[in-house]
Amino acid sequence: MPATDYQGSSPSSLTNFGRSILSFRREQVHSMEGSTLEIELDSFQQHVTDRFLDLSSVVQDELLSLKWVGKLLDCFLICQEEFKAILHTHKAQVLKSPLDRMVSDYFERSVKALDVCNAIRDGVEQIRLWQKLLEIVLYALDHQRSVGEGQFRRAKKALIDLSISMLEDNKESASIAHRNRSFGRSNGGRDKDHIHHHSHGNSHTSHGNNSYQHRSLGHFRSLSWSVSRNWSAARQLQAIGSNINPPKANDLMATNGLAMSVYIMNSILLFVMWSLVAAIPCQDRGLQVHFTIPRSYTWSIPFLSLHERIMEESKKRDRKNACGLLREIQQIEKCVRVMSELADSVHFPLSEEKEGEVKQRVQEVSHVCDALKDGLDPLERQVREVFHRIVRSRTEGLDSLGRPNNAE
Amino acid sequence: MSENNGEEKLLAVARHIAKTLGQTNNNMADDILQIFSNFDGRFSKEKLSDEGVGNDTVRCAALEQTVNSLDRQISDHLSSENSVCCNSTAFLSTVDELVSTIEDWSPLSDDKVVGACLQRADDILQQAMFRAEEEFRSLMEIGGESFDVTRNSDELTQNGSSLYDSNGEEDDEEEIDGDEDVIPVAKAVVDYDVVIDALPPATVNDLREIAKRMIAAGFGKECSHVYGGCRREFLEESLSRLGLQKLSISEVHKMPWQELEDEIERWIKASNVALKILFPSERRLCNRVFSGLSSSSAAADLSFMEVCRGATIQLLNFADAVAIGSRSPERLFRVLDVFETMRDLIPEFELLFSDQYCSFLVNEAITIWKRLGEAIRGIFIELENLISRDPVKAIVPGGGLHPITRYVMNYLRAVCRSHQTLELVFQDNALSLKDYPKHDDRLQSNSSFSVQISWIMDLLERNLEAKSKIYKDPALCSVFMMNNGRYIVQKTKDSELGTLLGDDWIRKHSAKIRQCHMNYVRSSWNKLFGFLKVETMAAKPMKEKLKMFNLHFEVICRVQSQWFVFDEQLREELRISIEKLLLPAYGSFIGRFRIVPELAKNSDKYIKFGIEDVEARLTTLFQGSGGSNGGRK
Repeated sequence: MPATDYQGSSPSSLTNFGRSILSFRREQVHSMEGSTLEIELDSFQQHVTDRFLDLSSVVQDELLSLKWVGKLLDCFLICQEEFKAILHTHKAQVLKSPLDRMVSDYFERSVKALDVCNAIRDGVEQIRLWQKLLEIVLYALDHQRSVGEGQFRRAKKALIDLSISMLEDNKESASIAHRNRSFGRSNGGRDKDHIHHHSHGNSHTSHGNNSYQHRSLGHFRSLSWSVSRNWSAARQLQAIGSNINPPKANDLMATNGLAMSVYIMNSILLFVMWSLVAAIPCQDRGLQVHFTIPRSYTWSIPFLSLHERIMEESKKRDRKNACGLLREIQQIEKCVRVMSELADSVHFPLSEEKEGEVKQRVQEVSHVCDALKDGLDPLERQVREVFHRIVRSRTEGLDSLGRPNNAE
Repeated sequence: MSENNGEEKLLAVARHIAKTLGQTNNNMADDILQIFSNFDGRFSKEKLSDEGVGNDTVRCAALEQTVNSLDRQISDHLSSENSVCCNSTAFLSTVDELVSTIEDWSPLSDDKVVGACLQRADDILQQAMFRAEEEFRSLMEIGGESFDVTRNSDELTQNGSSLYDSNGEEDDEEEIDGDEDVIPVAKAVVDYDVVIDALPPATVNDLREIAKRMIAAGFGKECSHVYGGCRREFLEESLSRLGLQKLSISEVHKMPWQELEDEIERWIKASNVALKILFPSERRLCNRVFSGLSSSSAAADLSFMEVCRGATIQLLNFADAVAIGSRSPERLFRVLDVFETMRDLIPEFELLFSDQYCSFLVNEAITIWKRLGEAIRGIFIELENLISRDPVKAIVPGGGLHPITRYVMNYLRAVCRSHQTLELVFQDNALSLKDYPKHDDRLQSNSSFSVQISWIMDLLERNLEAKSKIYKDPALCSVFMMNNGRYIVQKTKDSELGTLLGDDWIRKHSAKIRQCHMNYVRSSWNKLFGFLKVETMAAKPMKEKLKMFNLHFEVICRVQSQWFVFDEQLREELRISIEKLLLPAYGSFIGRFRIVPELAKNSDKYIKFGIEDVEARLTTLFQGSGGSNGGRK
């Protein structure tokens, strides 16, 4: 990677790499435009740094929560707006080589992010399905005179559906080949049945040989993605991340420093998409993306620290096989686990102590349901907004880059 | 028995009320019982007697008995291998009874015995509901399987074209070439006024009966979960049978254009079938299954949204991918097709997805439709780029028709056939559906679209002028401009393009061609006419002049016979105009030459071309090999 090459040769000279170029340019360009541009670029970097510092100040428990992801998307939208404004003010520069190439490269990169947005929207819908199943658990065990065996069986059934759904989702993430669903339903159904029995046997929700369970397993239907079967989030991320390199000295000079803002925006785009894929279920999730950002850039510090924290999170034992690192997904998983254990351990009639425990657990489930109810809709809207904004800036960019009077 | 049971419950409730109210005062309880017995004969003092009130076992005996009986009945149903629907009426009325028993006794659940009974009843209910859910699911599946979209396609076939035929019969290649302006024609529209019964009516009735019980028993979420899952899968299958693939935006962008054209064709068909047949059928099914329920409209709306959401998003995503895709001008016509399909379907979107859960789909559809409009405007920008960036040096030998003129003119002619849609697209970015039907059908020469078109014409002319400068010979430059100008005017005059650009525009351009004509004559022939002017009859200058004429005429004819004028009429006009000037002047010169005494004798030796020869040579002009076809882009 070029970035590490730089670092390898002379780490000290790199410390003020960006800045030295800017001051070098200042000596060359004494015009008013030059100095405002410099101020703009500095403040852009500063804003990006501030926003990422804010994002990274999150406590571990809130990292990758719905709220945090929302904040991340906000950050993207604001940065992109600011970036757009800079390009707009310095349109003359943008139309010249090499900046024109860099900018249109950013637009093409951002188009690749659109598929991620769509996949994430599917993922949000998937979580909504889980929310519904969790609500059945809640409905079964809450607001009842006293909880009996029937209600528990009902809750258990929903819990099994839920854990299978999450398991299946994860399976399909791991292997896209698996999603080779044929429309010969009976056949497919049997295969699925088979798989589920196995996976079910290994999972913690395993219990009794109730006939209804087995019947229900074969019938389980997860949502299917709206993207094609061989679409892969991991590959898409790689495509978005390909050839993002810190600007070279001569490019910085040729673009009066604007190349840096393009680089920053490229990096933010990749990071935001990567975080979405990390958090939300989608087809063939994979987080092997390398961020090679020289640590000399101030914004890189909170940026890389977040990357590291999310990577660590993904490697945690209980999260390694998760279908998404979203905090609320973890909470759903916990609910499933705890409630299933509880359901397996209760004897009827419930002792007063058990009844208290059930109440408490139900309360927890209710909290998770509320969080999902409040958080998923805004998240979906935001993901959509990101999609629309990417399209809009690209369209505007193409229009202004392409106008005939700008022909070379 | 059930009547008797009802009375038991009633009595128990009365006892309970009396007991609760009269807890502190025995006289008061007696008074209340008195009131009850006066109210209804059934509440006789004996029936409400102290033994009843005081003794829990006796009081709840009726409830227990009821629960036992219901338990037995339901167990019988559950253990039977037959599907519940074979004896559904009995099963369902048992469930009804169970639900109402639980409801009736719930206020008394604080009582230990009643509470225990209710818990048992809940347990039975839960078992019954699992069975009901199973039944519901298998009815959905069996019903769904019985409807095979391909097999039933005959029913959907109107006007002889099957909706599910994935092979487009007519593959109109849009070639922008010569006079063969083929515009892709929209597929023959089949009659979409069919609603299919996705499930047999009997099944729908059974489903409704089960749904009613599940919702009454508080199992509505499970019911809608099963319903949504099955119908979603059905729709997914239907779209797939319509030949529609699930494609990501990147995949659409990577697809070779021809494949994408086919995909668009299939998308148009599938979208129409989905919005006009499949979704309305789903809506009807939803309404039927969830009808007659207290919360029916919300339950039906929500289920409908869950069923259609995925398929709708799949359809919209494809249109979006097309809108975001390449802006290559050749794509215009297909993008227009997609745009028009969306425009035509938006009323369906609004009709189908009017409720609170679905309205976001309408907004999505409108957003994407507008984006297609932007894409179309983007294609025009791309066309502008192509024209103005067409390399100036790429000239045509012989000053013939340039491929870009041919391309642009035929392109614009084809474009004009969609003028109605394009007027809408170019209306100040303010796409509004409501304006559409009112929109004037006639072409307007002052609309934003016509401004766009004349801008493109300007760019073309500018590019052609720049190209013409490359010719070193100013006469050839004029021939080039005449050729291309002529083609432009011809292509404009006899098409909607002419109406759009207006008569003034045509007049102005015809005048330009005349100007070129004059320029040509001047730069090419004036010199020659100079040789034919007789100032003195002296032999030597006369001889010299004729020599020069012969030489230059020879050269002009040789050179200009290599030049090319594509239009026969223009060629003729040019020849006539030259003849008109040249023949009289030459004839008169020759006449004088012959009477110069020193030359008269040998005049034939000097006069290389007779009048006929000149005439003949002139007919060889502009036949050139160089630009014989004008090439093609």
